[in-house]
Amino acid sequence: MMRHLLKLVWNRRRTNVLVVAEIFCSFLVLFGVVTLAVFYLDNYRQPLGFQDDDVWVVTLNAPEARFAGPRREHAEAARRLLAAAREFPEVAAAAGAFTMPYSNAGWNTGVKLPAGQAVYWVNQVTDGYDRVMGMAVERGRWFSREDDGSAWKPVVITAGLARTLFGDEDPIGRSVPQDPPPAGEPPRQELRVIGVIGAFRQHGEFSEPVGYAFRRFDAQDPEEGPPRLLALRVRRGTPAAFEETLMRRLQAEARDWSFEIEPLAQMREGFLRDRLTPLVAVAVVAAFLILMVALGLTGVVWQNVTQRTREIGLRRAKGATARRIHRQIVGELVLMTTLALAAGIVVVVQFPLLDLVTAVRPAVYAAGLALSAAAVYGLTLAFGWYPSRLATTVQPAEALRYE
Amino acid sequence: MLRHYVKTAFKVFARRKFFTFVSLFGISFTLVVLMVATAMLDHTFAPHAPEVHQDRTVGLFHAQMIGPHNRWSSEPGYRLLDRHLRDLPGAERTSIYSDARTVYSYPGGTRVKSSLKRTDAEFWRILRFEFLEGGPFGDQEVQDARFVAVINAATRERFFGGESAVGRTIEVDAQRFRVVGVVSDVPALRRVPFADVWVPLTTAKTDAYKSEIMGGFYGIVLAKDRAEIPALKAEFRSRVRTVELPDARRYEKLVAPLETPFETVARLFLGDRGEEEARPERLIALLAGVALLFMLLPTINLVNLNVSRIMERASEIGVRKAFGASSRTLVGQFVVENVLLTLIGGAIGLGLSVFVLQALGASGVVQYARFGLNLRIFAWALATALFFGVFSGVYPAWRMSRLHPVDALRGASR
Repeated sequence: MMRHLLKLVWNRRRTNVLVVAEIFCSFLVLFGVVTLAVFYLDNYRQPLGFQDDDVWVVTLNAPEARFAGPRREHAEAARRLLAAAREFPEVAAAAGAFTMPYSNAGWNTGVKLPAGQAVYWVNQVTDGYDRVMGMAVERGRWFSREDDGSAWKPVVITAGLARTLFGDEDPIGRSVPQDPPPAGEPPRQELRVIGVIGAFRQHGEFSEPVGYAFRRFDAQDPEEGPPRLLALRVRRGTPAAFEETLMRRLQAEARDWSFEIEPLAQMREGFLRDRLTPLVAVAVVAAFLILMVALGLTGVVWQNVTQRTREIGLRRAKGATARRIHRQIVGELVLMTTLALAAGIVVVVQFPLLDLVTAVRPAVYAAGLALSAAAVYGLTLAFGWYPSRLATTVQPAEALRYE
Repeated sequence: MLRHYVKTAFKVFARRKFFTFVSLFGISFTLVVLMVATAMLDHTFAPHAPEVHQDRTVGLFHAQMIGPHNRWSSEPGYRLLDRHLRDLPGAERTSIYSDARTVYSYPGGTRVKSSLKRTDAEFWRILRFEFLEGGPFGDQEVQDARFVAVINAATRERFFGGESAVGRTIEVDAQRFRVVGVVSDVPALRRVPFADVWVPLTTAKTDAYKSEIMGGFYGIVLAKDRAEIPALKAEFRSRVRTVELPDARRYEKLVAPLETPFETVARLFLGDRGEEEARPERLIALLAGVALLFMLLPTINLVNLNVSRIMERASEIGVRKAFGASSRTLVGQFVVENVLLTLIGGAIGLGLSVFVLQALGASGVVQYARFGLNLRIFAWALATALFFGVFSGVYPAWRMSRLHPVDALRGASR
């Protein structure tokens, strides 16, 4: 049966190769979209590591002075601003930070480990940041006054990063491996792990979980610049009008500075919209492409069936049942789909094999592959069904007479 | 002859309506996607008011300091622009303006977010804004650091409920400005002119910006003539080499090229490695490649449909061949037929794109966007449709013309 089908498909190879090419291309399109969707859903299920309700973000814009600028003075001013914000009864907790979730500013660093390059994201924050963000420390502790004047710099890392850096060993008290500094630069200061948190996903719920490390703003360190942002946890039910009061107070404290105040929930909305809009556009285009292919295939199969009326008539005359005819046409279609899928899978597995895709986990990749392959089978069968039914209605006598 | 082809084509289209529908669906959908993409690119980069002199304007939108271990790229700083961009040979005007920054105001207790740009007076002479009332601020006002502002129509609506605004005061970023002019909204994708509120450079809260080489500012230069631009760029490039860099221990080279906005986007999109020369053709090639790749699937689809219908035309082809028509004539006829179908699909697509673009504009995905169709986009659409028609028509036409007359007349299936 199989060999016979192969022969039938081979005999019409010039037409069929185009059909196979079309299914092949649709598979690639489907695979791309489906894998992306699986990737996003998989990320969405993972813990975020912070709570974004009732958090306001104040961006501090010091007068520009990036090189010889008065870093010390700016750091001092930022501390005054933080103290001023804490005075309000509406503010439950406040902290300074280099960056925030849903902010485009990011700081990443890498280190060469025996197992390969490890890249992780870094944030620098003041002591109260865990309370503002509602973060839970799993092991060890968060930054505090204890860390003042220590010879090393304290860091808090995520559980995932701890696994990458230290394997299954207890990370507390260990020092974070760092690449040697470039020639001519002073040696790097030791970074010692004092706490481990579950996760922290700065780029939001659709981003892949990555390693994350927090460093501490040290008021004692004369080299330290000001934080870029203040993060405030306001009491539930604080009216939006408080924003104006806060703005005037901050402005009174530092007249040359400019401020931007934005609830974190609003930043989240804007950030996710910017990321999802292009994806939705691509998905809509892909859906139309697939619909077009499906209609096209229906047409092609239909046409093939009408052209093969005589062949089908002959088989009917020799006693083949309608079911067997139907099975033959569908079988040919399945065979061509399988050929196209085999070629498609060969192409698609090259990407992870050649290390071109690293962000997507193998399990997600495999799920995307399986789902899109199933979808392609489903589509060809669904749209090939009706035209192949038509073949079974052929009357032998009429077919043999057909010109 | 052509008339005859067209007549035959319509007969064929009408014969099997399902197939014509499927073909038209694919064609018009493909062209809608391409046209919407073209319209968005046109909206972002083509010359539109207020950038009416775009053909002879270049700007400094990006600077990069490079050292052995460090790389710092950002907008150029005021000092770099002020010291080196002015008085270039062949330049008619030069303007320096700040990056648009989000600022907050609370008129009547509600929050208004605006985009604020600090500019000089030349800004208003290079860019031709449409003033709804009042006018721009001039050199004197910039020199004296007067607190005056030009606002757009949307800001007038937010602060004054759309009533006349000239002479009234707005407070933004904790500073009070007297409104001197109102302009119509400029789309947010037009990075050079876009803002909600424009105020003089000198009203900045401190003078700290004046000493910075990097960060926060842009400059544009209007050349006297298009032909002057290469010389103007070369002069600026040699001036940049003399710039004394801050932090010489870390950085040894400054790359600050005079470019069009599209060239800067191409540079940043493809990963800036500090090249002196812009290579926009690489981005154009990439876009063309993506468009071709996108057209691949619709093309195969259309080819498939056409190939599977060859036998429908068998008797016609047989008769024509038997009476001496050459393969080339037949290929010509079938390609004309396919192009005709694509053009009909293109017309439907054009109608649908107007619809899609309107919906996109109304959705507010891009602030103040007015996506529209113009002659330039129409010409592109026509070119794309013709290309697509020929591209997808040649192979099936060739297959049809190869049909052996005897087979064809008999209606054999192979």
